[in-house]
Amino acid sequence: MGVQFILCFNKQGVVRLVRWFDVHSSDSQRSQDTIAHIYRLISSRDHKHQSNFVEFSDSTKLIYRRYAGLYFVMGVDLLDDEPIYLCHIHLFVEVLDAFFGNVCELDIVFNFYKVYMIMDEMFIGGEIQEISKDMLLERLSTLDRLD
Amino acid sequence: MGSSLRSFIKDVRGAKTLADERAIITKQSAKIRTKLRDDHLPHEKRRVNIQKLLYLYILGEKTHFGQVECINLIASDDFVDKRLGYLAATLLLDESEDLLTLLTNMLNNDLHHPNKYAVSLALTSLGFLSSPELARDLYPDVENIIKNSKDPFLLKKALQCAAKLIFKDVSLLEIFNIEDITKILANHSVCTHGVLLGVAKILQSILSIGLNRGNDDGEDGVDYNSDVLSPLSLLLRDFFVRLENLNSKNIEPGYDVQGICDPFLQCEMIYTLKLYFQVGELLDSKHVLDYKNNFCDLLTRIATNTDSTKNSGQAILYETVKTIFSLNLNQPLRVLGVNILAKFLTGKENNTKYVSLNTLLNVVPQEPTAVQRHRKFISHCLQDSDVSIRMRALELSFAILDDSNLVDSVNELMKFLAKQDEDSKDLIVYSIDHLVDTFDFHTVKDEGWKLDIFLNVLKMVGSFINYEKINDILIIINNTTQLSDKSDFLRKLLTISLGEKSIEITDENIGWQLVLIWCIGEYGDLILNQNDESSTNIINESSVTNYLLNIKESYTTTNHKIFNYILTAALKLSIKVHDPKNIEQLRQLILGYSDSSDLLLQTKCNQYEIFFNQPVSVRKVILETMPKFEKINEKQNNIKKPSKSLISDESTNLISDLLGDDSKTEAKTLKSDNVQPIDLLEEIFGEKKAVNQSVKSGEEQEKSADLPLQSTKNSNVILPSDAVKIHDSTSLNVYASLLSANAGQAHIELYFQAKLPMSDLQTFCAVPKTQKLTLGQLHPSSTIEVNQICKQLLKISGSGKLKLRVKLNFHLNGSLSTTNEQFDHKFDKTL
Repeated sequence: MGVQFILCFNKQGVVRLVRWFDVHSSDSQRSQDTIAHIYRLISSRDHKHQSNFVEFSDSTKLIYRRYAGLYFVMGVDLLDDEPIYLCHIHLFVEVLDAFFGNVCELDIVFNFYKVYMIMDEMFIGGEIQEISKDMLLERLSTLDRLD
Repeated sequence: MGSSLRSFIKDVRGAKTLADERAIITKQSAKIRTKLRDDHLPHEKRRVNIQKLLYLYILGEKTHFGQVECINLIASDDFVDKRLGYLAATLLLDESEDLLTLLTNMLNNDLHHPNKYAVSLALTSLGFLSSPELARDLYPDVENIIKNSKDPFLLKKALQCAAKLIFKDVSLLEIFNIEDITKILANHSVCTHGVLLGVAKILQSILSIGLNRGNDDGEDGVDYNSDVLSPLSLLLRDFFVRLENLNSKNIEPGYDVQGICDPFLQCEMIYTLKLYFQVGELLDSKHVLDYKNNFCDLLTRIATNTDSTKNSGQAILYETVKTIFSLNLNQPLRVLGVNILAKFLTGKENNTKYVSLNTLLNVVPQEPTAVQRHRKFISHCLQDSDVSIRMRALELSFAILDDSNLVDSVNELMKFLAKQDEDSKDLIVYSIDHLVDTFDFHTVKDEGWKLDIFLNVLKMVGSFINYEKINDILIIINNTTQLSDKSDFLRKLLTISLGEKSIEITDENIGWQLVLIWCIGEYGDLILNQNDESSTNIINESSVTNYLLNIKESYTTTNHKIFNYILTAALKLSIKVHDPKNIEQLRQLILGYSDSSDLLLQTKCNQYEIFFNQPVSVRKVILETMPKFEKINEKQNNIKKPSKSLISDESTNLISDLLGDDSKTEAKTLKSDNVQPIDLLEEIFGEKKAVNQSVKSGEEQEKSADLPLQSTKNSNVILPSDAVKIHDSTSLNVYASLLSANAGQAHIELYFQAKLPMSDLQTFCAVPKTQKLTLGQLHPSSTIEVNQICKQLLKISGSGKLKLRVKLNFHLNGSLSTTNEQFDHKFDKTL
């Protein structure tokens, strides 16, 4: 169990967030190739009539969801339970939405470090650590004020 | 935060062209690099530069030069710096970095920091970067928090961290104290869902270690069964009760997801309990197994009470079903599991269908009849618009096919095939392969129906069937017992091909043409000798002869396979027709190949001509209809099905004995005591394979390895020194070597070096309009192992600049889905 990576990119394939949880090589070129591959796979899929799961490699499958122009993608183990990760993604987006108040792509672009803060309060080393939206938002507003 | 970060982001976004953007990024990257090197840089500037660096990281730029600065920031007393430092460390560093050693000290300090937010940062980062070394050094600090902290916010993180550390360094199990966890569970004020998640994770870590380790005693002297598993049991019973409450509880406002109470925690708990029983089974631990019935009851309750219409409920049900099957619980539960999955299939949502089909595929061996009961819904998924769902439904359809539902299932498949087009070629090939196998394993009483099915298959998707499967289809036709079935089959084929509706069959439908040509040769007499007055008379000696003549004209391409078939069919037909005019036409047809550029065809033509000149009585003996084939291959030996032995008759066995033919995997025997035709006809079969390299599967290659024609095939291709790399991807490298480029003609050799094992490599090349391209065969095969090379010759004629566009299709690691790659290359030569 556990998330291997979380990715967020827009319809044009511009990356907005990336976090690798597994041991990933520091080779940035290889990560870029992987991301480009994922983008190609996912952007060509039919939004309405295809499932939100794609087998990606021998060890990874992708769970993704599109919100307006942004794709949120998680890479998980092949044996993992797919539907629960859709819930993960949805919870993450809901928290973003509540935190920024009607979140849009630009919020994520300009406040990427805050988005990482939110991600880190929800996931630790690829495992979900907090589920309660209220608790998360309360904690996040405290952290936000520490600036 | 810093306004200049904002303006940098704005600049990047505002860039009009890619080149502009590149320029801004390169400039900024260089600036950050110099700034960070400056020891006297003011504090705020340092922070802003790291922020910019992180933005560069998201854009995929190189950021290695900022790593030391992360450590400096973490060492700062300012919380905001610390936070940024840890964020940068978790993004930019990885477990292999030496800098991690530097980090150990900082983490150690921060884990004891008076500010709980600093402690939290350290825990989060440790969760990311846990290496075995860090695990040993820092576990005591984490344990300290688990033991003493009363803050759920820190506890949940510390528990998650400990789970990671224990998993990284198994020897920590020795010092891990279960009492700590018991104490936490007993204290209601700290037991939030987050903390429970942490407890679940730590238990999962410990149980997974047990699963990996099995009965072996570790070097640490810990006896897993008595030292770890027994004390855990009390904890897990506590968990058990909590899961039950969680599932039956109505709503707890903070944790409600679509009307389900905390699906995340429920899934984790079910998963933890599954591991617990798996370990119990592995170690044959009585106190664990005694409790299994209670678990079955709980799962039954969860399965019946959870709302299956929402995603969150489905997640829980799915985890439950997976647990039922991985523990192979009792039969009623398994049936319940299958029914839950079947219910997913009836829904509209593709996600649930996908999940359900995947799981059903895995559980078919455990509960075949229960799955079969839902065949209707599975067949329904064959019509889905999502190809990945169709593929799975198809696999599942074949997995549940047996004698009782054969006819219905095949009819469903026909409906499915009728709707497929070129885009789903993989699915078509898969269906045909399995359909042929199906008819091998299952005896069908109504052979006429069976042949009708193949008639339809050929009509619909004949152009997609690979040659190996066409051989198999021919064998099935050949082995049909009733002559009347065969002649009906041929009559139907001919009626369609000769009749006015002949537009239905295009020239691309090679499968159809090959089968028809072969049947004309074998069974021409069966329909020509029938004096059926009522038939519309489109089938007669001259129409059939003309058909062979015409088809030869339609294929001017390099498809030698079809010419081989035509030659043999013409020869065989020559003894079945009576009109001298037709016989002469057939002779001319054969003679037409005497100047063929293909040596094998030419040889064959000459040999056949000699035949042709033999008296009819001699020819009749030689060209008698094929006897029954006995197809022996490993697949059938492994699967013990009685049906196969019914097909083989004794005479074939006798002949096999006579010929001593038992070494070949595919025995092809001919009832004749003349030695020469055997050679000739075997050559035809050998020939098929030679022409067919581009679609050859790895399996076939092994089979044909003992044919003399293939003797060169296994030789390794070596990359010549002058080859230039023209394409590099994660799956393969492509090199090109220009052999010659003279006026109007060039020879190029392409080399494909696989980085991952791949099969069914297909290459499509395009050249500018002023040039003409002839593509050679892939040598040695279209299946390439890692680091092996396969080459292909390209002949280009015409004028203009020499450039190529290459498109590659292949299957990676034996997967069914096709991977595509495309690239262009310009040679600095002009024709």
